[in-house]
Amino acid sequence: MLELRINGFGGQGSVTLAHLLAQAALENGEQGQALPFFGVERRGAPVRAAVRMSPTTIHAHSQCELPDYVVVMSEKLTQAALGEGIIETGTVIINAPQAVPIENHPTWQVDAEAIARQAGLFNADGPLINIPLFGAVCRVLNIPRNIMEQTIMNKWPGKNGERNLGPAGEAYNTVKQVNA
Amino acid sequence: MKTAQVIMATGANAAAQAVKYARVDVVPGYPITPQTSIMEYMASMVENDELNARFIPVEGEHSAMAAAVAASAAGARVFTATSSNGLLYMHEVLHMASGGRLPVVMCNVNRGIFAPWTLWSDHQDSMAQRDTGWIQYHCSSNQEVFNTILQAYRVAEQINIPIMVNFDGFAISHCLMPLTLPPQEDIDQFLPPHKPEWRLDPANPSSFSNVTMAAEYAPFRQMLSDDIIASIPLVKQAAQEYKEATGMWDGDTIDTYRLEDAEVVAFAINSMAAELKLSVDILREQGIKAGLLRPRLYLPFPAEDIIAALPQNAQVMVLDRNYNFGHPGGILASELKSVLFGRRNDITVKNRVMGIGGIDLTRRFMAAEIRAMMDE
Repeated sequence: MLELRINGFGGQGSVTLAHLLAQAALENGEQGQALPFFGVERRGAPVRAAVRMSPTTIHAHSQCELPDYVVVMSEKLTQAALGEGIIETGTVIINAPQAVPIENHPTWQVDAEAIARQAGLFNADGPLINIPLFGAVCRVLNIPRNIMEQTIMNKWPGKNGERNLGPAGEAYNTVKQVNA
Repeated sequence: MKTAQVIMATGANAAAQAVKYARVDVVPGYPITPQTSIMEYMASMVENDELNARFIPVEGEHSAMAAAVAASAAGARVFTATSSNGLLYMHEVLHMASGGRLPVVMCNVNRGIFAPWTLWSDHQDSMAQRDTGWIQYHCSSNQEVFNTILQAYRVAEQINIPIMVNFDGFAISHCLMPLTLPPQEDIDQFLPPHKPEWRLDPANPSSFSNVTMAAEYAPFRQMLSDDIIASIPLVKQAAQEYKEATGMWDGDTIDTYRLEDAEVVAFAINSMAAELKLSVDILREQGIKAGLLRPRLYLPFPAEDIIAALPQNAQVMVLDRNYNFGHPGGILASELKSVLFGRRNDITVKNRVMGIGGIDLTRRFMAAEIRAMMDE
C-alpha cells in the first residue's frame, strides 16, 4: 500500500488534488482512497489530506502519519509538513520556483504556480496549483500520462477538462528530481 | 445482463446511493455535520428526478423523526440521517418509531457529543440510544454502508422494527473510495417494494397508538423485546441473500479476521475495526497470534455468534470509542462481559477507551496499545 500526504493551505485545492489522485488509482486498475482532514475550514489555514493506493482492498481509515510520499503545496510549509511525519526514505514533492533539496529524502520540485499562471488557470484565491501538481505527482508515482489525462477528463468532461490538460501535462514533463 | 459499476464515492454518497437503490418514498431531512452531505445528495437526487421521493426539509431533528414516523405509518419506505446532538434531539421520537413498530431506516454518522463541541467521531451518540428499541448496525467501510442500508430495509420491513445504520464521521463519511454499484434489477429482486400489513389511510380513517392499560401495554413491550432478539436470524438471512444477489459480503452479525488460531483478539466496531486488520498483521509479524472480531450488529448484541467464534483461552482486547460512565471503561466491554459470564470462563477481557472526539486511530498506535494491554 502506497501512502501519501498532502500538506497545503486552505484554498489551494488540496482536497480536489487528493480526490484526483484516488480517482487516478482507480483508472490505473488499483484501489484508491482520498481522506482529507476536515478541521474548521478557512482560507489560508494549514490543511492536510491522506491518499492511499493499493492493488488490494484498503482497510486503513486514519490519516497518513508516516507516508511514503509528502506533497508540499507551498514551499513555506516544507518544515511543518516534514514535522508531521514521513518514512525514513520517503519522497518529497515540493511546489517551488527553485530546487529545495531535503536531506536524506529524494526530493522533486515543480513550479506549479508559474505553470498555472502561464495557462491562465485562476480562481478567486489565485492560481490553481493543484492541477499542475496532479500532473507532477502522477509522474513521480509513475502513473501513465494517458491515465492522468483520462482522470481529468472524467472529472471535468469537455472544455473545462481540456483547459487543464496543458498545465497538468507540462508539470508531468517538467517536474524534476533535485537530489538522489 | 447488466454488470456492476465501480465509482469513486464518499461514505455519505455511498449511503445516498443505497437509498436511491432502495427506491425510498419519503426523506425528511435536517442538516448536521458530518451527516449534512447525505441530505445534500438526497435533495439533489429528488430534485433531478433520479429518485421518485418526497424530500421534506424540516426545522430540526425531532421533526425529522416525527415526519419519518408519520410517513412510515402511512405505509411509505422512509429514510433520514443525523449525527451526534441531532440524534439526541430525536431521542423521544425514536421510541415512537420502535414502539409503533415502524420500519424506518436511518443513518447515524457517528460524532462525539456536546459539551464541549466536537465535530469528529466517537460512538457516544449511537450508544446513548441503546435502549430505544432500535436495531443498530455499525459499518467499517463505504461499501459496507451501501450494502447494509439495503439489508436494513429487508430486515426492518420483515419484523417491523426501525434500524439505525451507523458509521464514522469523516473517516468514512468524507473518505473517497471505490464503490461497487450492483445492477438495479438485482437489488429490486433482493428488496421487493414495501407492503405493510397495516397503514394509516386517510380514505379509511383510524387511530394509532392510543392510551393502553398495563394488560395491553406490557405484552406489547415484551413483544418488542422478543422481536429485537428474533431479528438475528433475519440479519443473517439478509446478509446471505444479499451475497447471492450481488456477490458482496461484509459478515453477518459479526466479521472476523485471522481469528481461528488467535490468542489475542481485538474487539471493536466501525472504521477502527477496519484499520485493526492492519494492526493484527503488524502483531502477527511480531510473533503474536492476533485476530479480530468485529460485531457488525451492535443491537441486538450477537451473543451466540461471539461465544461460538472466540478461540479457547483467548485474551480479548476491547477497544471502545465511547465511555460507559460510572464504570472504568467503555460500553462494548460491558456488553461483552455480560454475554461471556458463566458461558466462557476461559476468556479474559481487557478494555481501553480511545479515539474520543476523532483522535486518529492508526494501525501502529492500536497495535502498540494491544501489546501494552497484554502486559496488564
